[in-house]
Amino acid sequence: MGNASHFALFDLKPDFRLDLEGLAARYRERVRRVHPDRFAGASEREQRLALEESAQLNEAYQTLRSPSQRARYLLALQGEQMHQETTVQDPAFLMQQMELREELQELQEGADLGGLAAFKRRLGQAQEQLNEGFAACWADPLRRDEAERLARRMQFLDKLSAEVRQLEERLDD
Amino acid sequence: MALLQIAEPGQSPQPHQRRLAVGIDLGTTNSLVAALRSSLAESLADADGEVILPSAVRYRADGLVEVGRRAKAVAAGDPLNTVLSVKRLMGRGIADLTLLGKQLPYRFVEGESHMPFLDTVQGPKSPVEVSAEILRVLRRRAEEALGGELVGAVITVPAYFDEAQRQATKDAARLAGLNVLRLLNEPTAAAVAYGLDRRAEGVVAVYDLGGGTFDISILRLTQGVFEVLATGGDSALGGDDFDHAIANWIVEQAGLSADLDPGTQRHLLQLACAAKEALSESGSVALACGPWQGELSREHFDALIEPLVARSLKACRRALRDAEIELEDISAVVMVGGSTRVPRVRQAVAELFDRPPLTDIDPDQVVAIGAALQADTLAGNGRDGEELLLLDVNPLSLGLETMGGLMEKVIPRNTTLPVARAQDFTTYKDGQTAMLIHVLQGERELVKDCRSLARFELRGIPPMVAGAAKIRVTFQVDADGLLGVSARELGSGVEASVQVKPSYGLTDGEIARMLKDSFEHAGGDKAARMLRELQVEAQRLLEAVQTALEVDGEALLSSEERVAIEAQMQALRDALEAQDGAVIELHTRRLAQVTDTFAARRMDASVKAALAGRRLNEIEE
Repeated sequence: MGNASHFALFDLKPDFRLDLEGLAARYRERVRRVHPDRFAGASEREQRLALEESAQLNEAYQTLRSPSQRARYLLALQGEQMHQETTVQDPAFLMQQMELREELQELQEGADLGGLAAFKRRLGQAQEQLNEGFAACWADPLRRDEAERLARRMQFLDKLSAEVRQLEERLDD
Repeated sequence: MALLQIAEPGQSPQPHQRRLAVGIDLGTTNSLVAALRSSLAESLADADGEVILPSAVRYRADGLVEVGRRAKAVAAGDPLNTVLSVKRLMGRGIADLTLLGKQLPYRFVEGESHMPFLDTVQGPKSPVEVSAEILRVLRRRAEEALGGELVGAVITVPAYFDEAQRQATKDAARLAGLNVLRLLNEPTAAAVAYGLDRRAEGVVAVYDLGGGTFDISILRLTQGVFEVLATGGDSALGGDDFDHAIANWIVEQAGLSADLDPGTQRHLLQLACAAKEALSESGSVALACGPWQGELSREHFDALIEPLVARSLKACRRALRDAEIELEDISAVVMVGGSTRVPRVRQAVAELFDRPPLTDIDPDQVVAIGAALQADTLAGNGRDGEELLLLDVNPLSLGLETMGGLMEKVIPRNTTLPVARAQDFTTYKDGQTAMLIHVLQGERELVKDCRSLARFELRGIPPMVAGAAKIRVTFQVDADGLLGVSARELGSGVEASVQVKPSYGLTDGEIARMLKDSFEHAGGDKAARMLRELQVEAQRLLEAVQTALEVDGEALLSSEERVAIEAQMQALRDALEAQDGAVIELHTRRLAQVTDTFAARRMDASVKAALAGRRLNEIEE
């Protein structure tokens, strides 16, 4: 299990730029062939293999369709461990994330749904920017540090998106 | 548990012959079985033409087990031995039962696995055994209707069912001698029922409002693959709450005191339920309770239930957010559950999604029908490449206990199944040679707020300094949502694994005993069993007719009619004395025939009375 890369499972070359619709179509075509439902009457061994194969396929699909997970996976494929540093070494971003969190706090206190929608849009744009930046630098070994920094920023914005969703839920009464 | 697998006699592949498979909706209140017949999926009826089997099981002192309408009808008279809504007990521990409300009428005893057993006149029965009785009846019904043994069944479970509840359902099927092709989430099944007919592509919302629970699922159908994007709901919201809303309104209007005796309470709820159903058809309904008479308009009813409807819509919006789907992306809304017959519910759902919901398949049958379609495919009857593939998600996050009593999530909720995921841990003491793995399910941070699924130990780790050992714990969830966990120390290769048996599941010993019991129960002399069944049926009818005569004989029968019925009753009693199966059957049928008109008149009278708001027990006692 886990010998072929996530990209190879879909006959794709490792790349950050990815046609998500195309990826989804390839996923459906493959999962259809290996899903345990296709082996409901088969031997225990075949059933186990089907389970393992489709689990692997699901894992690969989940990883690749999320930009931040895809970015980390690409860096891992390059063989080096990502540095375990935090955003403390990225002071500009640290400032920005503190501001974003404060803003989110204010939106919560003001129960400001309109403001939240605008915040979400800005968050989306920021994520888009990071994606662009990462796409431009990840393949260049000399810009590895920059790529790692961007990958970490992506992860942070992912978490922030999750918090926005939770806030939306609290405000939806 | 592999040792206990039952080989299915029907499983040897026979080419060119349709392999019989059914879909079963094992519901809280009612259960159904459906199958594909001449390329149409339909619910299968019992000998009386009834499709719905009330999920009621009664253990009688004479060793017989009654399932369905008859058991439900006598529930009030024999509460300790009659089990209703057993689904709510599935996969629950004794400790959970207190959360289910105080008024469970059963006596519980603890089994070796801390699972609650119901203390009945036939001894302790686990919820799994009770469910198996229901499944057994449905299996027999299907085998009779389809004329052969079943290859297997797809059994539906609520999307929010956790690991323990799923395992319990599977165990019940096994006890009933059913080969489970797949546990399918109810909303997915409903979507299948519509999806196959329509060959549609797009995002489907399934709005499932049952008697006691509400469920919302968002699915995407593309190129024959159904992906569940998110599920959510409210496990304490259902049509019963509508009844309560009406009942409370009556109490207020009639100026009744708030603490009513249980009898009046139940009467009020029956009245409320009838009013609710009538309001689906008409604009207003007349009500009477004691000296008070009043009228409830549909408009007012709508206002009464508005907060409840709003709660369901809120859960819909949450599911949409989880699925990262905008309202305008939804291309179809499917309605499931009897409570979606309420016009205000349909209207509110239509407004939220800005489109009329699909209601053309009976909301009580749509789940079983979808399950039947999938069962047929899984049994191998599908045309290659045409089958629908269903990708479910795990409804709750799975994880492990880490230092400080925290839950570390390994597989977050709404992850597509099947899934395998590994997480590495290490030792925290020098020379540590064993590690306790505690498997949890839930969304909360603290272990104490999550559900404990299993604990097991990885032993034989070579002694090392703290933090040097690398222990990889792998979670694997199969397509049914059942979990296996294994742990391995990477340096030495020491390994341990469990097929997670939920802490509140049955032990293998208990399952073995139940299987043995059920074989003994089912394996007896066939003729003797048939005679017993005929006797039960005859006695049941005699009792029913006797009661009906006492209550309504005077009012609804002429004296000649009454004499004819009484003569036929005596003939049947004589036949019972003689213990001859064929004669009993003949006279049972005759008695049923001569009482047909009487039964119809009683039905009429009780409907009229209910609509007129008279006390039901004036007629039924």
